[in-house]
Amino acid sequence: MTSQAVSWQRTVRNVAIAGAAVLLLVWTVFPFVWILLTSLKSPGDMLSVPPKFVFTPTIDNYAALVIGEQRGQYSSTRPDFPLFFLNSMIISIGAVALSVVAGIPAAYALARFTFPLKNGLAFVLMSFRFVPFIAFVIPLYVLYQQFGLYNTHAGLIFAYQLITLPFTIWMLRSFFMEIPLEIQEAAKIDGCSWLGVLGRVILPLSMPGIAVTVILGFMFSWNAFNYPLMLAGRQTFPVTVGAIQFISYEQVLWGQMAAATIVAALPQLVLSLMVQKYIVRGLTMGAVK
Amino acid sequence: MRIRRTRHWRREKFLPYLLLAPALVLLAGMIYPFGLGLYYSFTSYWLQYPNRFRFVWFDNYVDLMSEPLFVRALEFTLGFTLAAVVVQVGLGLAVALFLHGRIPGRSVVRALMLLPLMIPPVITALMWKIMMASTNAGILNYMLSFVGVDPINWFGSTQGAVASILIIDTWGNLPFVALILLGGLQALPTEPYEAARVDGAGPAAILRYVTLPLLSPFLVLVVLFRTMDSLRIFDVIYATTMGGPNDATTNLHIMAYQYSFQWYQMGKGMAQAIVLLLLVVIVSYLLMRLWNRASESTS
Repeated sequence: MTSQAVSWQRTVRNVAIAGAAVLLLVWTVFPFVWILLTSLKSPGDMLSVPPKFVFTPTIDNYAALVIGEQRGQYSSTRPDFPLFFLNSMIISIGAVALSVVAGIPAAYALARFTFPLKNGLAFVLMSFRFVPFIAFVIPLYVLYQQFGLYNTHAGLIFAYQLITLPFTIWMLRSFFMEIPLEIQEAAKIDGCSWLGVLGRVILPLSMPGIAVTVILGFMFSWNAFNYPLMLAGRQTFPVTVGAIQFISYEQVLWGQMAAATIVAALPQLVLSLMVQKYIVRGLTMGAVK
Repeated sequence: MRIRRTRHWRREKFLPYLLLAPALVLLAGMIYPFGLGLYYSFTSYWLQYPNRFRFVWFDNYVDLMSEPLFVRALEFTLGFTLAAVVVQVGLGLAVALFLHGRIPGRSVVRALMLLPLMIPPVITALMWKIMMASTNAGILNYMLSFVGVDPINWFGSTQGAVASILIIDTWGNLPFVALILLGGLQALPTEPYEAARVDGAGPAAILRYVTLPLLSPFLVLVVLFRTMDSLRIFDVIYATTMGGPNDATTNLHIMAYQYSFQWYQMGKGMAQAIVLLLLVVIVSYLLMRLWNRASESTS
């Protein structure tokens, strides 16, 4: 092969690689760009054929989100988005707090002690990751109606444990197991009780792991849609259920829905860049590091 | 001091249970509703008509077999899962191999790929619902018009609805597959590659006989996770087609939802939920065995 042919081949290869990289980038990022543009359009620009890339931006859609009602003719569509955002915060923070408080000692037990049924218990916890939500939500709905937990933050925080508790325990367990046993044994010889080992060795050394677990647990709670769809009412809807309220029988409020998706996705976008090294680990419950 | 230490050690036998107690209480709070639901699946529970509550043994399950929608929903559940896993793992592997090569700006692409992965699936569905508007006002149809494709009625036609759900689900989950496989590729040992190169193997042979076998535990893992999640996909279908048109995108999960929360037939809905659960359990058991075998053979 002549050197000219080699360099020609190399050029083709580089162009192909660049093309593939651009394609991948567009596929990943374009939907965000387009929805951001859509959220800044007035109703007239929204439905234009062909779609407009250049237009006079307006913040009306975001303003309508904040004011909490539509300035149009259909009075039936009045999602209260600031309330939904607050609900998402309350439920997610509550769910993660409860899971971490119950999960730290449980993860410590699963990481550092041997006892009968240990593996069985770990497996049961793991299996929650794959359970179809409807199998839980039907009986929960009936029970919540009876005991007054329907449409309450407390009820939702409890239901979210199905998502956050198994995740928290598996993640923390995988972080705790990374701490060398020798350190723990040394602390024991120095007179530390199990509580001392947990408080003075395990927790301080796994602080970054706990922080990652808290953030990821918050994100998974934020993404939850099924449980609140059935167990929440208008006063307790989180953003995920709130965003579909812009679809009604009369019409779809495209602009406000686009603005709502941006607002609902925003915390996730920021947080996922913060914990990017750990996301794969979180999504596989610690199976892949 | 000595006495306290011995007491401490004796107590350690019960300590794990003490530590697990709060989590077990919460867990019991989840298992109890599930048991109740299992019981409902053997009853004629209909929320509107509490007086008709009877224990009917397996009637709900037997009725399912003669229900045409159930057969279609089962077919769609399995067919969609197969298609989603093949498409997403195939493309994900391609993306992982691509990013594993020396690509400029790889870390930026990698970080950006996390964004579709971590936003709520229902939000993903709504974003695409906006882009998939059926006329040329929809940006996707507009873009396709440049390559000579007529406007597609994405959510209104049978094929369009199935395709759109597959596309939306793939957008959200392709990064999951690609990032796990990329992580796997970067953790592979280098010796087998050197040996293969010494033996004069070409890139295709190296991929087929070195990379893929070594990567198999990771491949089985992503297949496992993607299969489980595809079998019970709900959010995307709910926010886009609601199972339509003409029940073309109704899977078991959507069907169980419709029975229990649109018609309030909790008994029948719960029976469908249990069938779906059994399906997930059986498939996950088979895949877990495969995973164990794959990780044994490579380590």
